[in-house]
Amino acid sequence: MLPSEISRLLSKQWPCRELQTRQLASLLGPRISSPSTLVVHGISATCKTTIVRNVLAALEVPHAIVRSPECITGRHLLTKILWATLEALGKRDEWEKYGKGRCEHVSSLAVLLGECLASLSDSNSNSSNDKGKFVLVLDGIDKQREAPHTLLSALARLGEVIPSLCVVLILSSSPRPLFLQAAGVPHISFPPYTRKEAITIILNAGPPVVSGLDDGAASRLYPHFVSAIYDSLVGPTASSIPTFRSICEKIWPQFVAPITNGDIPPGGSNEWDFSRLLVKNRALFRHQGEGALVHHIVTEESAPANDGSLSKPSMSVVSAPSPLPSLPYFPTLILTSAYLASHTPQRLDTIFFSKFSSSSLSARNKRAHHRRRLKVLSRAQAEDRLEASRGPSTPSKKGKREKTRITKSTLESAFATSSATTSAVGGNAGITGPSTILTARPFPLERLIAIYHAIDPNPPANPIRLAAVSDAIYAELATLRRLRLVVPAAGRDSGGRMGLGSGGLSSGNTTSDAGEKWCVNVSGDWIGELAKTVGVEVGEWLAGGLD
Amino acid sequence: MDLGSLEVEAANAPKDGTNNQGVYIYTPADQSKSSGERPSKRRKVAQKKEEEQDGSKAHPFVPLLNGEEDEQSVEARYKTYQQLWSTQEAKIQEILDDVDSEVLSNVSSFVRSTSPQTYDGCIPAALVTVGSNVSSLARLLARLNDQFTTAGDGGAIVLESGDAPNLKTTLKNIIRFAITNTEGNDGYQSFLTDREGPRLLGYDLDLLGDYVKRKGIKKLVLAFRDSEAFDPGILTDLLSLLSSWLDRIPFTLLFGISTSVELFEGRLPRSTVALLRGRYFEIHEASNCVDRIYGRLQAEQDGKIWLGRNITNVLFEKSNDSFQTPEAFSRTVKYAYMSHFFANPLAVLIADEVVPSMRQGLVCEAIRNLPSFRFYCEELIEQGSAKQVRDLLENDEFLFQQCLQHLKDGQQKMRDLFQCVKLTHLLLKKLSLVKKTSISELSIRALSGELQDSQLVTDILQSAKTLDSTTLLEVLNILPSTLADRPELQQVKTEFDALIQSYQGTEPLRTAYDKRHSVVATTVVQQRVKLSKGKAKLPQEHVEYTQLIDRFHALLEAYFEQTLETPQDLVLHEIFLFDMRNPLKEIFSPRPRFAVERALSNPFDYLISDSPEKPEAAARVSANQPATSILYQLYLESGSLVNVYDLWQAFYAVFESEQGDSCDERTTMALFYRALSELKALGMVKSSRKKADHVAKSAWMGL
Repeated sequence: MLPSEISRLLSKQWPCRELQTRQLASLLGPRISSPSTLVVHGISATCKTTIVRNVLAALEVPHAIVRSPECITGRHLLTKILWATLEALGKRDEWEKYGKGRCEHVSSLAVLLGECLASLSDSNSNSSNDKGKFVLVLDGIDKQREAPHTLLSALARLGEVIPSLCVVLILSSSPRPLFLQAAGVPHISFPPYTRKEAITIILNAGPPVVSGLDDGAASRLYPHFVSAIYDSLVGPTASSIPTFRSICEKIWPQFVAPITNGDIPPGGSNEWDFSRLLVKNRALFRHQGEGALVHHIVTEESAPANDGSLSKPSMSVVSAPSPLPSLPYFPTLILTSAYLASHTPQRLDTIFFSKFSSSSLSARNKRAHHRRRLKVLSRAQAEDRLEASRGPSTPSKKGKREKTRITKSTLESAFATSSATTSAVGGNAGITGPSTILTARPFPLERLIAIYHAIDPNPPANPIRLAAVSDAIYAELATLRRLRLVVPAAGRDSGGRMGLGSGGLSSGNTTSDAGEKWCVNVSGDWIGELAKTVGVEVGEWLAGGLD
Repeated sequence: MDLGSLEVEAANAPKDGTNNQGVYIYTPADQSKSSGERPSKRRKVAQKKEEEQDGSKAHPFVPLLNGEEDEQSVEARYKTYQQLWSTQEAKIQEILDDVDSEVLSNVSSFVRSTSPQTYDGCIPAALVTVGSNVSSLARLLARLNDQFTTAGDGGAIVLESGDAPNLKTTLKNIIRFAITNTEGNDGYQSFLTDREGPRLLGYDLDLLGDYVKRKGIKKLVLAFRDSEAFDPGILTDLLSLLSSWLDRIPFTLLFGISTSVELFEGRLPRSTVALLRGRYFEIHEASNCVDRIYGRLQAEQDGKIWLGRNITNVLFEKSNDSFQTPEAFSRTVKYAYMSHFFANPLAVLIADEVVPSMRQGLVCEAIRNLPSFRFYCEELIEQGSAKQVRDLLENDEFLFQQCLQHLKDGQQKMRDLFQCVKLTHLLLKKLSLVKKTSISELSIRALSGELQDSQLVTDILQSAKTLDSTTLLEVLNILPSTLADRPELQQVKTEFDALIQSYQGTEPLRTAYDKRHSVVATTVVQQRVKLSKGKAKLPQEHVEYTQLIDRFHALLEAYFEQTLETPQDLVLHEIFLFDMRNPLKEIFSPRPRFAVERALSNPFDYLISDSPEKPEAAARVSANQPATSILYQLYLESGSLVNVYDLWQAFYAVFESEQGDSCDERTTMALFYRALSELKALGMVKSSRKKADHVAKSAWMGL
């Protein structure tokens, strides 16, 4: 088959990849001597693997495909390559001949593959006059786990060592120059789909079937709808085709709900056209659409198509899991004190938590003063950052600042979430408000216990019983640590951006040193809510929290 | 503690009962083994085993009453305990099996109905929030696994965070668990070795794929029992791997979540979240389950001993305030039962068969020493039956018979008490007087004798007067047999039935006390409007019904008064009511830190002092105390940074002041070093980075 034929064949099913298909087909065609190495690259969901697979199948070239993310170690990958090759050549039963099916190093792989393929070229030369050729596809090789650093360049050399072999490397990141340590390797790029291509692909599938909507109206409205979705949701967020498709499928029935429900179109006309539907469904794009962009594990089973969009939110409210965990009383209090310990500077402890001065006027004044100062400080910090990003040329007048407060506060939180040292995990529960701009600091356990005593809403009547509390706290803290709500500070630092406390310590390890520092590992709002359930107002204690 | 070690200890224990004391001097039990000998592990231990078997015939209980209790009574106590607990344990197990069955059926139908196809290629994932009820998931999974393996179309693999230190081991464990689940350990080994082709690596999912294909498995549930404790990095890797294998291995994931779904999702990267889709399930809180267990244990009609108010308090405080599983709850109850039979020689009276030797004077003497018995005697004397008291005090046989009678009565009263608690609970729910009550809460009040005068009971009686006929019918049905079997009530019931039979109206019958029957009359007296409430004329049936209700009310009131007696007032309540808080507290919430601090600051609380000093003088720092303790007390006086030289000076001064010139500086210094390093080992001090010659204090006393 000629490359152009193949591209025509495949473009029916996978449109907008004609160029790449042609390139692949002409480089890997059975009668042509292929380049020893070929790099195929492009971001995820650009149809790389599918196209390569189908081109090879259409060309009827002997080939083997190894999915590298499925291989746990470099050795595992090499072994898999060997077996896949044997299997593709129909020599599975002769595995004992080739290194007993074991392959621990790239160099031995070269030898073993050479042996396998030598027999291939022998047998093929008898039957036909073209040279035997074998294509080895390594899918996602840049994501290989525990790969030795020489792996890529060694794999690129395989084709040079074994003349009948052509290695295709599929990468999902764009390659750096000369990353194979070899010049002149042909690259085929799979760029992301453009607007036009993406819309074509979606339209190819046709509109999803909605009962009560006749085909004529559907085919008339659907193209407009798809391009509206692309422009409003998919394009700006650089989403992939599968997301695009799922959004379209999800929103389409609700978009045409006015027609299926038999509502009367506004403006005197007796038929719904696209613009009327769009005006009617403005809110839909905002709420449902933006929600659809973020994938959640628990999603609502989509309501029946003839159901209005109104019934949906109520359904999701009913079965939504509660955002707050149901921790028992004692651990909640410990978590709250851990949060306070993390977010109050240690030097202010006596002012905020000491019971001796708690009722006096001067102490209250002092506390208020410090709260104000910390608040001003944190705001100033945020503004400094804002200034820095704006550039030095911007005038910094007080009056102007007051005016632009709303945009600033939104920016403030944006900055806070983007900074690496925030206490929030994962970012979505997020940092809001100035109180948590102060980052979570590690604290020793003794401080946690002391603060616990200070904030305990039901202090024991008999202070002698206090002694048992610290021992009980340790037991609960171990559980909190298992839940990764409070983690040892050392682990947190190496946990990287996620702040997950994974570094170095295996998950079962719960030993700790008395002097070791700990850190709270969840965001503030969440703990604030939780603390209210046990009767502690976090803002009352927190520096800069209340006012 | 396992039974074996208990037995050995009991066999070795000296007869004076030192092993039951809180503080004693430790003497190693087995001194025949000197350090030069070979470790016992490598010696043949056949002989020892025989010894152990001999030991296992005996039970771990020791004779009480100063060791004079005879063997039969001890055995009777042990047997009774075993019988009693095994029935209770069966009840607990029944509840545990029953409590999550709804969630189980939901989860299993989810697993059966979903597949990657229904979820556009995402891995089906069930998120099970367990809250603090951590152990429930394990039970659920075990039963899910049973369901699937018996059906032969899959299995459930449970993975704990400890099984997943890194990706390779995790995969190995997954494969091994999956195969051993149905094939057993040997099956796994043979699966690894007896296969065509080259031997696969242990972590190669090809193995699992092969297994799935061979067995025709349709669903493989992979459960992450404590999903928060997993390393998120490993979890991310694992999930991406599983999703790439999804076309060959039909995985369904199950996450046990103790915090919240939102938090769980937030901790995973978006790309990983995008691989999962599923539903959310909720397992009931532990407290619910614990409440049911407690109700079952205490309120059953065949109860013989009961937990008192203090223990109930401790139990519920613990299960409400901290992470505690229902299993841990039942262990605590078990301990309470056990310690009652272990330490109370009179518990032998509860035994089913009467031990002949029990009539000895010893037991009777013990009974005569009971506070409740003494109180009873005093009461008898006040009533003027001195003869009976004399008999009780002098005639063992008479005392014994009386005791058995009292014991029986007391037990019956306790049963009635809990019946009444149950009734109160039901009535409160039926009449919707209080939003939320639990059996446990009511039990605590009943056990402390506060329920009778409480607002709740008054409310019930109040609303009993306004019952209409339909509700009364329902109430009559839920009455416990002790109340319902009374002839007065039977009569009320038959009359009520007759009344209902003859009554023709559609509206239920109402009493005269019902608000609907009162009429507001308005009269104008001297230009003022007067409202006066009056009773409307009632039809004959209603009048009769009111009379019935009056009788019912009186009966109910009398019943409450009779049954809700304070259990502590019952004669011989020490035998069937166990209410000692301290053993439980000490065992289940130990206070190591408190003990260490006390030992260091008041060493003579623990050590026997030879010095002629008076006890109050021992509270001061003195050279007679251990060096570490001296240093600790000096350390308590200092701030957060301590200059080591100052500390040494103070330490030396203690010795100098007592020993005068004979004090050897070098020896003292050695003691000082040792004490300081011991404090360091205890985690009390650490070297400070701020100042080279200072140490930082890292533990404060009394926290």
